[in-house]
Amino acid sequence: MKEKKKRGTPISLVFPKRMYVFIIPAIALFLTFWIIPVFQLFYYSVTNFNGVNYDYDFVGFKNYMTLFREGTLVNSIKNTLIYAVIMVLGSNLLGLVLAMALNVKLRGKAFFRTASYVPALFSAIVVGFIWSYVYMPESGMIASLMNTLGLDGSSFNVLGNYKTALYAIAIVEMWKAFGTTMIIYLAGLQTVDESLIEAGRIDGCTEWQLIRKIKLPLISATITINVILSIIGGLKAFDYAFIMTNGGPGKSTNTLMFTVYKIAFTDQMMGKASALSVVAFIVIIAITIFMLYFMNKREVEL
Amino acid sequence: MAKRQKSYKEKEAAAKLSPGIIVLYILLILFCLLVISPLLIVVSSSFREPGNMRSPLELFTQFSFDSYISAFTKMNYPMQLLNSLMTTGGSVILIVIFATMASYPIARIKSKTSRFLYYFFIAGLVIPSQMVIVPVAQMFGNLNIPNTRFTPMVMFITCSLPFSTFLFTGFMKGVPVEIEESAYLDGASLWQRFSRVVFPLLKPATVSVVITQGMWIWNDYFFPMIFISKSSQYSLPVGMIQFLGDRENPAQWNVLFAACVLCALPLIVVFAVLQKQFINGIAAGAVKG
Repeated sequence: MKEKKKRGTPISLVFPKRMYVFIIPAIALFLTFWIIPVFQLFYYSVTNFNGVNYDYDFVGFKNYMTLFREGTLVNSIKNTLIYAVIMVLGSNLLGLVLAMALNVKLRGKAFFRTASYVPALFSAIVVGFIWSYVYMPESGMIASLMNTLGLDGSSFNVLGNYKTALYAIAIVEMWKAFGTTMIIYLAGLQTVDESLIEAGRIDGCTEWQLIRKIKLPLISATITINVILSIIGGLKAFDYAFIMTNGGPGKSTNTLMFTVYKIAFTDQMMGKASALSVVAFIVIIAITIFMLYFMNKREVEL
Repeated sequence: MAKRQKSYKEKEAAAKLSPGIIVLYILLILFCLLVISPLLIVVSSSFREPGNMRSPLELFTQFSFDSYISAFTKMNYPMQLLNSLMTTGGSVILIVIFATMASYPIARIKSKTSRFLYYFFIAGLVIPSQMVIVPVAQMFGNLNIPNTRFTPMVMFITCSLPFSTFLFTGFMKGVPVEIEESAYLDGASLWQRFSRVVFPLLKPATVSVVITQGMWIWNDYFFPMIFISKSSQYSLPVGMIQFLGDRENPAQWNVLFAACVLCALPLIVVFAVLQKQFINGIAAGAVKG
């Protein structure tokens, strides 16, 4: 009885305010190496700081204007969005379909699950190397395969073509990511009550109706998590543009994060890179909040 | 090999006499083959001699360790492996300590401050590391933190805090308050309650954090690339960067493949041993979050 009263009052003896001491190590690291740098970005974005020399001037919104005039801004946002959409649709559809298939009572289920998950264990840099080989013109995996099948493998060059390069690297990211998505969907599907499915069967639902009307609504929370995770992953796109294409050909695989990195480290224009970071920050936050809101609303509706 | 597997699976499925299941098996096998085919070729080619690039599609036609020996020496493998083990292990231990400590007040105190702190940490999830890397590197300079093999750990821990704190907070809310109240009545101090009563009960969340964050840290090349200047201090993934130029030279591909296998091998072995924990840990991490 005594405890109940304690929990109701704002000042708790069991959980006093001095508990906040526990948070100090984490908050100190987080502030110093994450939050303050983010604020510094906002400041540098209106200067011509080059990253080394602290003798910089205040230039107002010039960096933002340059980014916009050059087309860098629109180009990198567009590339990132295309990449993210492919990631979200691809890895979720693939993951969901596979999870549905593996949720049936199957022998050898563990084998299929492991085979689809193995790519997720590799470091992005290793994956980048492997797929550089897969896509290599003339003697790479796909080109050799085409040669064996009597097709002209020498004309195959997805990474060298500005129309296909972005899709090609998005597929690589998908290859690495869909296994994780699938595992999360499998966990979600396993929480679906078997008796509901049985009831549906007795009522004469087709397999498709069972999926559409029972399974999907019941795992809507899992769908939200997976979609949000792949959006965050897709918007952070950097690895394969860095390892496989170096942003090229032309500017076709310049994603936001790769462009930020390139402007800061190759061009040594920290002010401009910060301006792009600020834009990226706003884009990422806006999309994440919008999606969270949108998905949560759907979840309630279903 | 593929064919044998297929017919074996088909036989198994045929026992159930359902054409739907057979189609499902065939599709699954084809799909999995498609997914792992690049890996098969990589492994097969890594066992060839460095110069042998003839028709890589013919799998496992030669068994030679020359490419491995060459990659092993070039990578300075034992050193890089040790560096990887130390940084990953150290980071994960500190993440678990800092994140559980941080989530303790956030989960237990019901006030606006604790709710604010909760969202404050979560907000860190969406910030990509490439974005803040220059100000972060300056911060290291201002604080006179030298570039050593342990410097990236600071960033690994910082970047893991949002997710880990989030997960631990969610989990800790499920630990009954009554347990702690009785410990309080028995005269346990705050620290004792945290370390002896609450912490052991967080084991499933700890496993999940160790696996998801450990995997990420083990595979990350970005922070080591920025913060480590001596090649003797490289971890495995960042050591792979030195092979970037070799892609232009076809004679080096088999060595490169051997390096890829060597780089991925430790995690594959751990996964093979702890498969169940991996699968559950990843799922729990996402579902709780």
